[in-house]
Amino acid sequence: MTETAAPERRTRPRIGSHAFLMLLLVAFLAPVAWAVVSAFKPAGDIVSSPLAFDPGTFTLDNYRAMLQDVPIGQGFFNTGVVLVGKGTITMCFAPLAAYAFAKYRFAGRNLIFGAVLVTLMLPTIVLIIPLLLEMKALGWVNTYQALILPGAVDAFAIFWMRQVISAVPDELMDAARVDGCGEFGIFWRVVVPVIRPGLAGLGVLTIMNIYNDFVWPVVVASSERMATLQVVLSTLAQNITGNRIGADYATVTGELLAASSVALIPLLVLFIVLQRHFINGILAGSVKG
Amino acid sequence: MTAAAAARFAGTDRKKRRTSAAGRRRRLAPYVFVLPFVTIFLAFSVYPLFYTARLSFTNWRGTGAAEWVGWDNYAYLLTNPAFWGSLGNSAVLWLLIVPAQMVLGVLVAVLLNSAKLKLRGLYRVAFIVPFVTPLVAVAQIWVVLFDQRHGAVNAVLGLLGLPDIGWLTTGAWAKPTLALLFLWKTTGFIVIILLSGLQSINGSIYEAADIDGASKIRQLWSITVPLLRRTIMFAVVLQTLAVFQMFAEPFVVTQGGPYNSTTTAGYYLYNHITRADLGTGAANSFLLVILVMVLSLGFVRMLRAKD
Amino acid sequence: MLRHHLRRRTLALAAATAAGGLGLTACGPSITSDKDEGGGTDALRAPDTDAPSGEITIWDRSGDLFEVFEGVIDDFNAVYPDIKVNHVAVDIDAKLQNTLITGADVPDGVFLDDAKISGYTDYLWNLGDVLQPYLGDMAQQKIDVNTVDGAIYGVPYDLNPGLLFYNATALEAAGVDASAIETYDDLLEAARRYKEAVPEAGPIHLEQSAFLGQLQLEMYASQLGTSIADADGELRLDSPEYRRILEFLDTVRAEGLGTRAEYLTPTDIAEMDNGNQVFYPWAIWFSFAPQQMLDQTSGDWRAMELPAWDAGGARSGAMGGSSFVLPKDGANADLAWLFYEFLMFDEVGYTAVWGPNPTYPTGLNTSIPAYEPAADPTAPLFEPVEALGGQDLWSVATEAGAQIPGGAPIPAWWDGAVDYLGNDVQRMLDGDMTPEEVIASATEQIQTNLVDRQ
Repeated sequence: MTETAAPERRTRPRIGSHAFLMLLLVAFLAPVAWAVVSAFKPAGDIVSSPLAFDPGTFTLDNYRAMLQDVPIGQGFFNTGVVLVGKGTITMCFAPLAAYAFAKYRFAGRNLIFGAVLVTLMLPTIVLIIPLLLEMKALGWVNTYQALILPGAVDAFAIFWMRQVISAVPDELMDAARVDGCGEFGIFWRVVVPVIRPGLAGLGVLTIMNIYNDFVWPVVVASSERMATLQVVLSTLAQNITGNRIGADYATVTGELLAASSVALIPLLVLFIVLQRHFINGILAGSVKG
Repeated sequence: MTAAAAARFAGTDRKKRRTSAAGRRRRLAPYVFVLPFVTIFLAFSVYPLFYTARLSFTNWRGTGAAEWVGWDNYAYLLTNPAFWGSLGNSAVLWLLIVPAQMVLGVLVAVLLNSAKLKLRGLYRVAFIVPFVTPLVAVAQIWVVLFDQRHGAVNAVLGLLGLPDIGWLTTGAWAKPTLALLFLWKTTGFIVIILLSGLQSINGSIYEAADIDGASKIRQLWSITVPLLRRTIMFAVVLQTLAVFQMFAEPFVVTQGGPYNSTTTAGYYLYNHITRADLGTGAANSFLLVILVMVLSLGFVRMLRAKD
Repeated sequence: MLRHHLRRRTLALAAATAAGGLGLTACGPSITSDKDEGGGTDALRAPDTDAPSGEITIWDRSGDLFEVFEGVIDDFNAVYPDIKVNHVAVDIDAKLQNTLITGADVPDGVFLDDAKISGYTDYLWNLGDVLQPYLGDMAQQKIDVNTVDGAIYGVPYDLNPGLLFYNATALEAAGVDASAIETYDDLLEAARRYKEAVPEAGPIHLEQSAFLGQLQLEMYASQLGTSIADADGELRLDSPEYRRILEFLDTVRAEGLGTRAEYLTPTDIAEMDNGNQVFYPWAIWFSFAPQQMLDQTSGDWRAMELPAWDAGGARSGAMGGSSFVLPKDGANADLAWLFYEFLMFDEVGYTAVWGPNPTYPTGLNTSIPAYEPAADPTAPLFEPVEALGGQDLWSVATEAGAQIPGGAPIPAWWDGAVDYLGNDVQRMLDGDMTPEEVIASATEQIQTNLVDRQ
């Protein structure tokens, strides 16, 4: 898919449409707004009168407590390392493998791709125990490679990129071959430039997935120094969602809301900056098959 | 480059050698291209899967030796209403989520696609906000909003003269509440996908329809939806995967309750693991793998057939 | 040529990786046809040197308790200067099991719910020898929950006596005399009288979370000296004790004397603050609700011993509680023992935990020590509680704690039973099951799904 000027509806939406969208807007934003605003309320008030907000009681205490008690900086750092490591591997090897699946015939192609499709729907937790034992055997528990490598080239990325690359006309590649381009050269100089929107889409999706992932990191990163941002948040939430037994229920709720407010910023900014690429990229992956 | 140079030094029929070298390269290339992926895939997906298969025939509690129990774990699960219940819960959640999400998604995407809509950028960002909000915060939000007597949602229902609903406390309502959470969190993402599909539809079709005097609703139904079919199908596949993998949402919001009404297939499996009943957990995993295989094949068929 | 070479090397590498992967199959558990006998000589010994040294890693739950224990480390180091304490806040529920299974980076000591201990005994040191000198002065209930097959696996931390919290101001206004409550029949009577005065009230808390509901059920049972299963793992639900407790709860429901809510969710808090919910039979850790969460009625609440099931019977039962366990794979478990010995059995240690400290300026008043010399009713560690109208919670709690009967061990599958017993109790409170049906159904389900599958 090449970038084309988006053809758009020309009619002016009526009042009804606006009312509908506005209603949805409120429904979508209000819960998050509640969290962000509550983070500025005294911790006790968040639980005792969750729906009220008195601007006179505005406080930064939750943020202060959060910065003091919660290793959020370490969390951001670890998430960053995993993003770079896992993201790079996905972005390099998924398109490359997908290219082979889409454009070459080779022994075992259908077998491997079939296996990819099967694992596409596996819940992460299916593999958790065997993967953990594997990490133990490799001596990788509490290491970055354990956070990065399992699932580094996930089935979905392959599936998605195969869709994108299938849409690239074979003639383009044949022409390059006649010009004496090597096989990797064809991929690098011909295919990659054409599928750039698809790569951008994959990039944003990959970042969002890695950033939000917490099931595997919680399990494999048992030490605090390896905790990713989501692990830090879930450690914090444990005191609340578990048994509500901890005597600092209110304090932790305040810290959790403050930490969550901070945690949602990077992805939001990323989306605002990249939304145009993202939309075009999804288009590239979803239309042709 | 180096292969070609070698051929030149050999000094025989250059052209022929070059073609055959290129042919060999072309034959070998796909293997090299898939190698990194296949290595990771074998090591961290296929191998653990085989390991799970072996574990599923044992009684192992994470320590000491595992006891070989044959098909016991499978027999236990297949005759256990709780296992079937967990699959049923996932299926009901699918029904509650996916159709509603597609209708809502198409409507919103179509409205947002209008060039003259004011605040388009704001809407687009607003709908994606839930998608980027950390799940553990969402759990807190949900508990407060859906509290039975003092939650915001029931307060609004009260203003409309409707009775209180035990959103998170009754078996009947917990699934819809969880489905609402999932809808709220992921619909923005689906809107983006559908928006991208809409951009490939040529606007002149609508102009023609306007001239013919077709109503907007008619245009939506008989032009937009058919042209968007592939994108919608893609979104359906994506969300089906997400719903059947659902674990984190019930984990942080309902812990599978009340009365196991939100114990999804994934959550039920997790229960064996927390109880250190790893053999049963493995058997449960494998039953899910088989289910997944069947579903996957179904979807692959569907994607191909509708081409 | 070079490129071909490279490709071959990569292929060889892949082959090696694949082979390595297959080789891993040999790791993991070895499979036998018999169940592992396990056990053996796993008794921990204290270090036999005068100047023990080394580093220990201690896991605690994040939050207030972490801060409290953190504050004791300096005192500990004054006695044992060469033991470096690496103190970490960890999501223990999510991580301990996996850490123990993988055996990597295993901590030397872990803070653990009593209900979880029996599930981990294969991985833990038997502390029978080192605890020997202190067992005579220990709450029997704590010894029982830490004991599995005759070995004791945890250093008891806190005792959580069940108390009857009540809104004294509201009851007084309605003309109900709380101090006259001595049995559960009295409690029912008081609730009826309060409801006459305040018709919209549901005076007694009825827990709506399956987990906490089961925990509270076990508090009532502990008061009667029983628990869900005996030390041999035999179910005890089908007994007069459980019948009696369930009938009491069912009466509260049937007569509309209860407020059905999950512990400290918005509904629960609001119903306390508006005076509808005035009796809260719960563990001592409820005390932080008036301190931190109640808005309108903070200061109106008081605590007393639980009512007795029969006049003259025990006035308290245990609800919850934690201990410290020492994994066998930890490098310096013997040094970790010294830390816990100091923390729990040295006056400096337990005073630092429960007495006034930077985290709790008036002391930690959500539990009491399990070690009896520390839980002396006449020598309070924490101060009177302002939010309980300045009441001396210490003496109430320690006197109640001393009455908790033993004989209530916790089976390894306790958490799993919530799906059956916990849920069935909720169904009963919904009015969908009778006490008899709860007993029959939960017994059968727990037997097939948990006991028989151990």
